[in-house]
Amino acid sequence: MKPAETAAVGLDTPWADLPALLLPAYGETWAMVGIVMALVILVGGATGVLLYNTDSRGLFPRPRLHGVVSWLVNMGRSLPFLVLMAAIIPLTKWVTGTTIGIAAAVVPMTLAGIPFFARLVQNALNDLPRENMAVGLVTGSSTGQIIRQTQLREALPGLTSAITLNTISMIEYSAIAGTIGAGGIGYLAVTYGYQRFDTHVMAATIVVLIITVQLVQFAGDRISRALLRP
Amino acid sequence: MIEIRDLHKSYSTGHGTVEVLKGIDLTIEQGTITAVVGPSGAGKTTLSHCISLLEKPTSGQVLVDGRDLSALSGHALRSERRAIGTIFQHSALLRRMTVAENVALPLRNLGVVHRQMEDRVAELLERVGLLHKASAYPGQLSGGQKQRVGIARALALRPRILLSDESTSGLDPESTQQILDLLDDVRTELGLSVILITHEMDVVRHVANHVAVLSGGRVSEYGPIGALVADPASGAGRQLLPVRALPLPAGFDYALSVSYRHGPVDPEWMTRLSTGLDVRVALLGGSVEAHGDSVLGRAEIGVAGRPAAEVRAYLERLGLVPDRRAAVSSAATVHTRAATAPPSDDAEHEADQKIEVRA
Repeated sequence: MKPAETAAVGLDTPWADLPALLLPAYGETWAMVGIVMALVILVGGATGVLLYNTDSRGLFPRPRLHGVVSWLVNMGRSLPFLVLMAAIIPLTKWVTGTTIGIAAAVVPMTLAGIPFFARLVQNALNDLPRENMAVGLVTGSSTGQIIRQTQLREALPGLTSAITLNTISMIEYSAIAGTIGAGGIGYLAVTYGYQRFDTHVMAATIVVLIITVQLVQFAGDRISRALLRP
Repeated sequence: MIEIRDLHKSYSTGHGTVEVLKGIDLTIEQGTITAVVGPSGAGKTTLSHCISLLEKPTSGQVLVDGRDLSALSGHALRSERRAIGTIFQHSALLRRMTVAENVALPLRNLGVVHRQMEDRVAELLERVGLLHKASAYPGQLSGGQKQRVGIARALALRPRILLSDESTSGLDPESTQQILDLLDDVRTELGLSVILITHEMDVVRHVANHVAVLSGGRVSEYGPIGALVADPASGAGRQLLPVRALPLPAGFDYALSVSYRHGPVDPEWMTRLSTGLDVRVALLGGSVEAHGDSVLGRAEIGVAGRPAAEVRAYLERLGLVPDRRAAVSSAATVHTRAATAPPSDDAEHEADQKIEVRA
């Protein structure tokens, strides 16, 4: 009995070796999420502002453009991440020159994140009082001034919540991207935990992911609340 | 001075075109306050948006000191629209900016240098009595205070015209009065033309010089407040100075509505009428108040002893304008009531009126 038990336990990475395995992977996860979020906030944010302002009640209503952008955003949001990732492999290869690793994961993650964030930004702006725009207009402000002062700045608490939500989604996507060898915590969970039945690694990755998501949400809520004014 | 000429505004909906404004003509002289009143759906908001140039009229013009601003667009519109300061319903202050930042917004966007901007903001906040709230956020202010900040912001760029779009709706009577007094003061100090868009007719009579009644997309009545109140046939006059009259008591022949003429009125007119014609006069309801140098007044009286034509002629000599409509006799009142309302409703109605009188 005893040798058999030892053999089974022997498949698991010793607890003491876990930090050496987890820390670099954790760094990789954040590198992916960081690069993706930077691109998502820039492009997705701009798309969200465009969606809001091309709407019939926006700053520069363009029903046709609004329709096209809205349709593209829906397209990007309709594919499950795993399917999207597989479907755009040729694009990923063309952009990054590879189909595995962090670089390859960033492309589908960004493409999935942009339309999601665009809708979140549009919603955050929709929550603002409608008169904000009129205030900008009657005070003789330029389009850029109106977007910056009466839209983005006023919506900062909502935008912070949007970034929090999006970041958590991207952590989740990075784990899915682990299946194509993206690296990071997800890759660890798949290769060690799932394929090698390494219970210790599996448990550790789960704990790390849970704590990470909790911390991101907690920080996001705190910042969002701090940005609210009485 | 702002002139609105033959202003039309239509919107296309799924079911065709809806014409909201059907040819509005209005002139607001420099240094005067014109109230635009009317029920909801009359086109007040659309007119307000056309004046603040948030919407382009379908046809017609909005002339500010002779310049047609409604024809402008782009950069020219941006710089010229600063001649019109707008005060919004619910103040529309930006919630994440302090009071001072809100007032500074138009100045900053114009590129005013920092030092000058600070001085001007302080001056404006001082003017509306809220300098001590400069670093507060709008969420920390009362409705009336927010609206005063809104006025300071509207005045920041030294406009020639001030447009108040329902700025007192939802405020308590005291705050409403403060806001209207403030508007009246800045009008006098700065020589502004003020357009007061409101559905609360009786609050405007103290400050407005002219009233335009909007109904169904047209100006149905327009004139100086005094003239409208002095005209017993004017619906606007009746709403500007409402009189809730008692029912005609038994023993009186008929009721008469009278308005004070725009000019001197004998304050003892009821005594004069009674002794001069040897009639009995009962005051059924009335309201008399000072309006600048003149007097606004409307009353309803019950008369017994002489025919209505004779009483009317006598009242006119005393400076009053009796309603030209047929005098309501007590018999007729009873008759119409009996014909139109079931007895139970009638009793309730009278009970209501008694309560009102006591209150």
